[in-house]
Amino acid sequence: MILALWEGAFRVTQTINSRLWRPWVFPAPSGVLDAMLGMLNIRTAFGDPLHKGWPLPVADPNTPPLPTAARHWYTSSLIRADLVSLARLIAGFAFSIVIGGAVGMFMLRWKELDQFLGPPLLGLQTLPSVCWVPLAILLLGFTEEAILFVMVMGSFAAIAIALRDGLRMIPPLYPRAGLMLGARGWKLYRYVLLPASLPALATSLRQGFSFGWRSLMGAELILVVKHHGLGFLLQTARDFSDVAQVVAVMVVMVIIGMVADRWVFAKIQARVQARFGLS
Amino acid sequence: MRATIAPTNSTASAASNGAGSIPAFRSGGRLQLKSVTRFFNGSIEHGVQDITLTCEPGEFVVVVGPSGCGKSTLLNLAAGMLLPQSGNVTLDDNPIRGPGPDRAMVFQEHGLFPWLTAEQNVEFGLKMAGVTRDQRRRRVEAALRLVHLRGSEQKLIHELSGGMRQRVAIARAMVMDPALLLMDEPFAALDAQTRTLMHAQLQELWVQTRKTILFVTHSVGEAVRLADRIIVLHSQPGKIRREVQVDLPHPRNFDSADITQLVRLVRKEIEDEVNRVNRSMADTYWKPQTPSDLGDDPGLMGGGI
Repeated sequence: MILALWEGAFRVTQTINSRLWRPWVFPAPSGVLDAMLGMLNIRTAFGDPLHKGWPLPVADPNTPPLPTAARHWYTSSLIRADLVSLARLIAGFAFSIVIGGAVGMFMLRWKELDQFLGPPLLGLQTLPSVCWVPLAILLLGFTEEAILFVMVMGSFAAIAIALRDGLRMIPPLYPRAGLMLGARGWKLYRYVLLPASLPALATSLRQGFSFGWRSLMGAELILVVKHHGLGFLLQTARDFSDVAQVVAVMVVMVIIGMVADRWVFAKIQARVQARFGLS
Repeated sequence: MRATIAPTNSTASAASNGAGSIPAFRSGGRLQLKSVTRFFNGSIEHGVQDITLTCEPGEFVVVVGPSGCGKSTLLNLAAGMLLPQSGNVTLDDNPIRGPGPDRAMVFQEHGLFPWLTAEQNVEFGLKMAGVTRDQRRRRVEAALRLVHLRGSEQKLIHELSGGMRQRVAIARAMVMDPALLLMDEPFAALDAQTRTLMHAQLQELWVQTRKTILFVTHSVGEAVRLADRIIVLHSQPGKIRREVQVDLPHPRNFDSADITQLVRLVRKEIEDEVNRVNRSMADTYWKPQTPSDLGDDPGLMGGGI
């Protein structure tokens, strides 16, 4: 609805006086769509103000040729960037889960460690994850590892704290019942404490993901390494003053984040809660 | 102090050995506590001191007492979840050093694992013990039949009613075929009707399997209905205040004069105990409470008329 109004306003101002609204300063939805499809190597001209009448997705011969460098980046850059970013996301998330999970478990096991690590971890939550970038550059240089470092630092604390809090909420009756039924040592962890903490785990994964995704995008924006992720695409678009593409990449980031959160993590959470009769 | 309540008219005593026993379950063992003492952080609350108690094989012993008197501590000592600071606890002359498969516990409420189905809950202990799949299936089925819970095996815990949950909990304990069954206020959260039903079922199960049962409760009515012997605890520190041997036949008729007398006796003991504790704790004048102030047991409504 808003998009339609926005697009309509754009069209109207363009017909009255094209100086009123300059699409390269603030793009219309159609321009963003063009940019998005452009990144997928589909050239369209929905947003071309010179295009009269209802726009059709035609290859526009009048589009000025792009500079070679730009064309290089534009060549199906979106899919490649998505894949790169997703690969990093998975790797970084795995690290975060392992580290955050271990820290969370140990904090529950040893009160001293909790008292020692708890406040700094909570404090770290207030530090925007991009602020790890300078340290990452100094420690690891402009490398893949530096990006992962930023991402892990941005998300493991959230996982650790959510997990610790969730494990604390396990009714003490479960481990007692487990012990009485012969679940000792690792069996107690594997068959009682782990399943009992599933609701907490689901919540912590969801939290960790949203923190991780944000950190990753921030890191990619600044850290330019061999493979180019979504953040880099955003930065390139800025370098070429291509507002439409900037917005297009932002939209893609939001879509990926939302799809993962709503369709993956929220689903997992809902299923676990239904199993436990919590919802 | 020991008292025995025996039937004044010995008419019905056939009920206790009427039902045929299920051969899949072995009968109970002898639990012995010898001058057992256990305190927590130097406080007398919840602690027990110098308790000597023997539960004979197949005996149904109910422990009652005011809250904080160490009822649950006693149970945990028998379970092996707690170890005594002095004295010793044995089951069939084997010292108890930790939780073991010869003892099983039925918890108050929420003791079942909500991530498993009813059947998987019952199966849990066998799985931990490494019993083969075929054996497990057979024994789970027998345990579920024992508590009349066939047909709801695949349900999740939150889909079951309170009474069904406690039946699953009992099946989960019975499937281990323990020598001693420990019950920690298992029916406290149930409504009066369901509780009465559960009493009947527990009784039936006990008659069939002849397990030794140590049962802890707040409810005098429950104690009088179920017990072979009632132990009234003295609190802070927990000691045995009085033992009442109940030689009345099962199932017990709540209209009988024997029962009424017994309820009165046990209730009087608990009231005296509550008043004693409150008097010792109160700084100012303490007015001893009359029975009606202490609250009536819903399970006994009109029972003494």
